[in-house]
Amino acid sequence: MSSPLNGGSPISTSGPILEARGLVKSYDEGRVEALRGVDLKIDAGEYAAISGPSGSGKSTLLHLLGGLDTATQGQVFFNGSVLGKAVDLDTYRSRQVGFIFQAFYLLPTLRAAENVQVAMLALHEKANHRAERAAALLEEMGLGTRMNHFPNQLSAGERQRVAIARALANDPTLLLADEPTGNLDSVNSAHIMDLLCGIREQRGMTMIVVTHENDIANAAPRHIRIRDGKIES
Amino acid sequence: MASQLSFTGFAWKNLWRRRLRTLLTLVGITMGIGAFVALVGFSRAFEHEWMRMYTSSGIDIAVVQSNLLSSSIDESLATKISAVPDVAQVAPMIFNLMDLTPEVNALVYGWRANSYELDSLTLLSGHRFHDGTQEILLGDLLASNLGKKVGDMLSIQGTNFTVAGVFHGGSALEAGSVIMPLDQMQIVAGMEGKVTAFHVKLRAAPAGESYDDYVKQASAAIEAVLPGTRAFPAAERAANNQIVALAHSVAWGTSAIALLIGILGIANTMAMSVFERTREIGILRALGWKGRHVILLILAEAAALGFVGGLVGVGVGWGTLRLLSTLPQTASVVSASVSPSYLLESLLIAIAAGLLAGAYPAWRGARLSPMEALRYE
Repeated sequence: MSSPLNGGSPISTSGPILEARGLVKSYDEGRVEALRGVDLKIDAGEYAAISGPSGSGKSTLLHLLGGLDTATQGQVFFNGSVLGKAVDLDTYRSRQVGFIFQAFYLLPTLRAAENVQVAMLALHEKANHRAERAAALLEEMGLGTRMNHFPNQLSAGERQRVAIARALANDPTLLLADEPTGNLDSVNSAHIMDLLCGIREQRGMTMIVVTHENDIANAAPRHIRIRDGKIES
Repeated sequence: MASQLSFTGFAWKNLWRRRLRTLLTLVGITMGIGAFVALVGFSRAFEHEWMRMYTSSGIDIAVVQSNLLSSSIDESLATKISAVPDVAQVAPMIFNLMDLTPEVNALVYGWRANSYELDSLTLLSGHRFHDGTQEILLGDLLASNLGKKVGDMLSIQGTNFTVAGVFHGGSALEAGSVIMPLDQMQIVAGMEGKVTAFHVKLRAAPAGESYDDYVKQASAAIEAVLPGTRAFPAAERAANNQIVALAHSVAWGTSAIALLIGILGIANTMAMSVFERTREIGILRALGWKGRHVILLILAEAAALGFVGGLVGVGVGWGTLRLLSTLPQTASVVSASVSPSYLLESLLIAIAAGLLAGAYPAWRGARLSPMEALRYE
């Protein structure tokens, strides 16, 4: 069994599931460059942590890898196909990617179970199947008794676990987490990382975690350091 | 057990989170559709009653002056119409809307005592009037509203008339009307020697000829002998006479304004909603929702507003029509019957109004890029 922070061992090295080639992302008509030529390969089943100082471009890189945004230059390949061209970004996000955000981003008017189901509404699954799957995921997150609570009735750690359940709702191949412990205390941080690593190991998913916490980054089998929009190591 | 979330349930939750704004928007569309149902229903019922009056009286063709809002034709031309081979009977007549009391106005007809149109009425009490006498017949609804019976006096435009009889007619228009001798009506209306229309009854259509073709042919023959007049088949005349046309115009104009206000209300609500939920739309996009899913969600919310507002509006409009059919001022020109297809049509208009109002906010919501929306403060 892996420890909360070591992330376990790589599950598969059958070739890159994700590849970034020459990624440049600029804002404000080119005056601000968040990424300046990033090349990166992530193998299927790999767990990688991306760390760097604030403003280094780590979240921008994650957003491009997850199809949330498009690069100014360069391309992202998923299983050898170019995102945004051969692979539709919406379909990519709905079928292949599970996102976890620092701010949880739960919908305040929906109960925990409904927040999980909302990710499946775009997948045309039957309502009872959606509800059953949401309940099973929340049970797995240890929230079996909290599934009909609204976000404001949950603790920060519980909210992030609902967000993780939501990220798993579409049974993704990629789990992308942007500062998943940024709003949590140390106990909850350890709990959440333990949960994520256990999920990755159990399901054989590829996981990329953006973090500014050295403990989490160093515990990952692969640690990618980024500074000023370029990968250092 | 986890609660189930459906697409429509999600849309409804989004509307319900801003209850006051949703309710105010519903009030707007309810008023718009209520006005539409009541006003357009009123004008359609009015037209329907007009048609029933023509049908029950056996009128085939109405001859009026062409190109004038207020028709005025020489009464003597009746002989020329009578000479047209297919014409069986000609009834010269005048009709006008007159104030009988400060609260009650009614359609007042001037007919000759021997008009075939009188044959279609059922005399409930009294007797028919005679030409040249200051006698009138009252429709039973009007007599009841005025509290008049046979032998009572009624002043019309300053002239006192004796109620000779009370009748029941084939339509609400007749039930709420006054009929007096044509010569008396010409004096009251200041139209000596003139009439507003000739109501023509044709002979039976020849075997093998359709009624519509027969009436059109006879209308053309009448117009040929009376240049400057128009001969309308009765059904067409019911829809196009000046009073009905005016009622239609006012009804559509007023309800169009009310509907527009309702549509603007929904558009404003949906635009505000999309603006406030920018980040939420970003979350949905991040979860894989396509632009069309966002469009569907916003349109579902807008359509729900239209549907609920329309449903209540149809009820309000129908209730208003029923109320109007019982009021003395309006009972004579409208019946309480409204066809279910018309109510359904009104509901569909409400839903279409919602969709129209939601179209732009939906398009805007769908155009938001996930990151742009997630970064929104």
